[in-house]
Amino acid sequence: MSTSKIAWINDSYGKMTKYNFFSRVNWGRFSVVSVPYLWLAIFFFIPFVVVFKISLSEAAIAVPPYTPILDWNLEEAYVTLKLSLSNYLFLLEDDFYLSAYLSSIKVAAISTFFTLLVAFPIAYLMARSEGSMRALLLALVILPFWTSFLLRVYAWMGLLKKNGLINETLMSMGLIDQPLIMMQTDFAVYIGIVYTYLPFMVLPLYSALEKMDMTLLEAAEDLGARPYQSFFLITLPLAMPGVIAGCLLVFIPAVGEFVIPALLGGSDTLMIGRVLWDEFFLNRDWPMASAVAVVMLIILVLPIMLIRNSQGKEGAV
Amino acid sequence: MTSPQHIDPSQISEQATIKVPNWKSDAKPFVQIENITKKFDDFTAVDNISLDIYKNELFCLLGGSGSGKSTLLRMLAGFEAPTSGRILIDGVDMAGIQPWNRPVNMMFQSYALFPHLTVAENVAFGLKREGVRGAEVKKRVAEMLDLVQLGHLGKRKPNQLSGGQRQRVALARSLIKRPKLLLLDEPLGALDKKLREETQFELINIQDELGVTFVVVTHDQEEAMTLASRIGVMNHGVIVQTDEPQDVYEYPNSRFVAEFIGSVNLFEGQVTVDEPDTVCVTSPEAGAELCVNHGISCAPNQDVHVAVRPEKIRVTENRPDQKYNCVQGTILDIAYMGSLSVFKVKLASGKEVRVTQPNTNRESGGRFTWDDNVYLSWDMDSCVVLTS
Amino acid sequence: MTIKKALTLSVCSVLLAGNAVASDKVLNIYNWSDYIEPEAVSRFEKETGIKVNYDVYDSNEVLEAKLMAGGSGYDLVVPTGAFLERQLQAGIYSKIDKSKLTNLANLDAALVEKISKHDEGNLHNVPYAWGTIGLGYNVDAVKARLGDMEFDTLDLIFNPEVTAKLKDCGIGVLDSPAEVMSIAQNYAGVDPNSESKADLKKGAEVLEKVRGDYKYFHSGKYISDLANGDVCVALGYNGDILQAQSRAEEAGQGVNISYAIPKEGTLIWFDLMAIPADAPHPEAAHKFIDYVLKGETAAGISNYVYYAVPNKAAEPLLNEDVISNPGIYPSDAVKAKLFAQKAHTARFDRLLTRTWVNIKTGR
Repeated sequence: MSTSKIAWINDSYGKMTKYNFFSRVNWGRFSVVSVPYLWLAIFFFIPFVVVFKISLSEAAIAVPPYTPILDWNLEEAYVTLKLSLSNYLFLLEDDFYLSAYLSSIKVAAISTFFTLLVAFPIAYLMARSEGSMRALLLALVILPFWTSFLLRVYAWMGLLKKNGLINETLMSMGLIDQPLIMMQTDFAVYIGIVYTYLPFMVLPLYSALEKMDMTLLEAAEDLGARPYQSFFLITLPLAMPGVIAGCLLVFIPAVGEFVIPALLGGSDTLMIGRVLWDEFFLNRDWPMASAVAVVMLIILVLPIMLIRNSQGKEGAV
Repeated sequence: MTSPQHIDPSQISEQATIKVPNWKSDAKPFVQIENITKKFDDFTAVDNISLDIYKNELFCLLGGSGSGKSTLLRMLAGFEAPTSGRILIDGVDMAGIQPWNRPVNMMFQSYALFPHLTVAENVAFGLKREGVRGAEVKKRVAEMLDLVQLGHLGKRKPNQLSGGQRQRVALARSLIKRPKLLLLDEPLGALDKKLREETQFELINIQDELGVTFVVVTHDQEEAMTLASRIGVMNHGVIVQTDEPQDVYEYPNSRFVAEFIGSVNLFEGQVTVDEPDTVCVTSPEAGAELCVNHGISCAPNQDVHVAVRPEKIRVTENRPDQKYNCVQGTILDIAYMGSLSVFKVKLASGKEVRVTQPNTNRESGGRFTWDDNVYLSWDMDSCVVLTS
Repeated sequence: MTIKKALTLSVCSVLLAGNAVASDKVLNIYNWSDYIEPEAVSRFEKETGIKVNYDVYDSNEVLEAKLMAGGSGYDLVVPTGAFLERQLQAGIYSKIDKSKLTNLANLDAALVEKISKHDEGNLHNVPYAWGTIGLGYNVDAVKARLGDMEFDTLDLIFNPEVTAKLKDCGIGVLDSPAEVMSIAQNYAGVDPNSESKADLKKGAEVLEKVRGDYKYFHSGKYISDLANGDVCVALGYNGDILQAQSRAEEAGQGVNISYAIPKEGTLIWFDLMAIPADAPHPEAAHKFIDYVLKGETAAGISNYVYYAVPNKAAEPLLNEDVISNPGIYPSDAVKAKLFAQKAHTARFDRLLTRTWVNIKTGR
């Protein structure tokens, strides 16, 4: 132990205490805390930097198919850094991208709303039921995850198509004469997203509702609140953290959703995931595709940070 | 307090002076409970209870857990529907009337304060549901908070309050609608002992001031004794005895009540004398004849119990000059409690008797010691005969 | 283009990362799915002792993305003509050493000549199979709506008067802008490979008029939908439609599918074997190309996948129902009307993509 590592500080009683910084740093705690940050760095930050870098270059017929942003020549002793903002300018100029973003956000918002509408009663029932029933409901919510996501979407195609189960059943019951057109419609996209993301909504809602003291509802009723008033004045505000978490978990991936609109949606469903695909594969314009992705991230991340900030402030009161 | 079972007699007399004995008049009962039964599957929580509660009463339902007291309270509030029987409040049959339409409010054991609302918003909640708006809400909330001495904390959230403050917010919230009937579920249960003692008198004062009828559920006999104008002692879904606190204490009608409230010595025996104002019982357990100055309805030679409270027994070195109610034994144990001493005396039959003696002067605690041979005696009007 | 393909892609890259150990006893092939007779690979392995890692893709775009990112680890890939043409500009393919190919003479010289439009002198490719884009239709459903007429016409999907009658039974069109637009431009009477804005507009106008009658644009769904009767006309690849035909026969639901090469002319496409410049095992790749050039191998593939092979030596070995099927091996007169699609410039690709999205979304 070298003396330089030892400092003298005043402890809370004003006494001088010998203090060794190295022995006081809690390395165990440090390593635990750093894991999520490391995760974020490796799986989020670094890929994002790579994508951002590509978005500042220009497309080229080469391997890789974009120009380098950093170029140097040692003999002639120059280094050039060429950052192209043209992709972003093009994004702003062309209202096509704006309408693709807006339409994606619209689809995601509507799906999120309906997911919430479907998930809330399920989560509520789960939170209210006892032991084995609760376990059963939980299993029913999680069980579909055990099969392939693609398989489940294909199953929906089998249900929704013209001569699918739903149409056949309704027609054999005599409820409809003509098969309902459900495939290749926005309706099918909403069904697909709501179905696929339901557990992401149910679980946070359940964990919020489960913590809720049910006597609060009795107290509200006792004070003159009708059940719908108790719901909006007590249950909903208390479930809000779960509602927000669930909505984010559904909304964010739904904005970038590509597979479900491609399989269930009509050709006229314009979503940013498809635009990205087209930029990447049809136009072979990796930089443009990267710019589209970066802007999408910014559009999504900013509101989330604002929400988180406001939540943080509330929690601190 | 010597033990949780013991009652300080001074408190009993104090509460007795506050109450207006409505139930003794011909007044129409405010709450009429008629043959109420509540079954959960095959478990009977409340078993054919009939009870009248009068205006301005502070009625306590006292019982252990599972005695059905909370179920009865929840039926009054409307959270449970009776399996059979009916409840009338102010003459109106409550059948089918939802909790939010009843002229009843409840203070919950857990207080059930809305955690996302401020104290003032919590208190205003009921008013707003009535359609009261604006300045009127503000005024009444301020009044109510002043009443419970929390006027300065209106902007806080429940999690920023102490237990006692929360209890008062809950009280204010349940009183703001000026209910005709306030139900209180273990109102003091979550408070520590010192706070409980302070708060119980406050509760009585508020009840007195507002003239609201209170029905309190508690498992704590001390709390019931202090608060209640009348007590209904419940056991296994049945009200065993309904009386003023003093009567419940002094004249328990059954061994259950006698043992549930305070501590008591019970002597088993057979009736030998049965006259309108005197009953005598021969008790081999006591090794003496025990007599009381009240009549009972019983058959000759019926097995009965004579109950005598520990503080009603005198301890003397020499045999007192009385024919009845005098037993002999040796001191098994002594506990000096400050204001009084507790003696455990073993009789010849092997029965142990509990006696408390006030330490009226410094020496009185030291009068007796272990293994002393002593006489225990009491007056005829200090004990009761229990047939059940 | 589905996530399935993307998943295939990522799984492959994981597999290959482990297998990229340089050894001439290994060959990494990346070919279209369901595009080879399964025994062909095992026979090759037995003959040569080379271990084949055989991975598949479902779209040229996925293949291209992998190759352009660099370091794919593949030794042999099978892009379509126009894609190879463009990829050559990036220099991602090595020249094929024709001296190592003993069976080169088996190739159909007339077709090889057409392919040289994509690859000057055919230095970088050896053709694998070829086919057409044409009309698949449900014979009974179409007949019921249009009466007796010849169905070998693009009117079925491009003439508004006709499509209006077919709308209720469903029309599906490939979601492939370059290919479909070429056919539409040709139908509109302009050069199918023209990059002029005016010609593109003419092609787009054809599609805009009928777009509302289409059920969808999709590159794979029509196979099962034709077979199930969910669509009654599809513009698609001949092999896919023949696959739908046999599926419908197997199902025995009375759905009768037929394939027609439109008389207005349509696209001919070639899938070409090529060796990436960074292929770890080029020797083995040459051996495999030579193996495919054998008459028996080529015939086996053609008999299995229902696509034509440009191989004269294979012709005598083809099954009767394959060689005599005009959907697979059309007559010379029909062949004369087929045109190949050239690679587009990046500028035109962008314009085309936008036009395509506008057509699809009805903007």
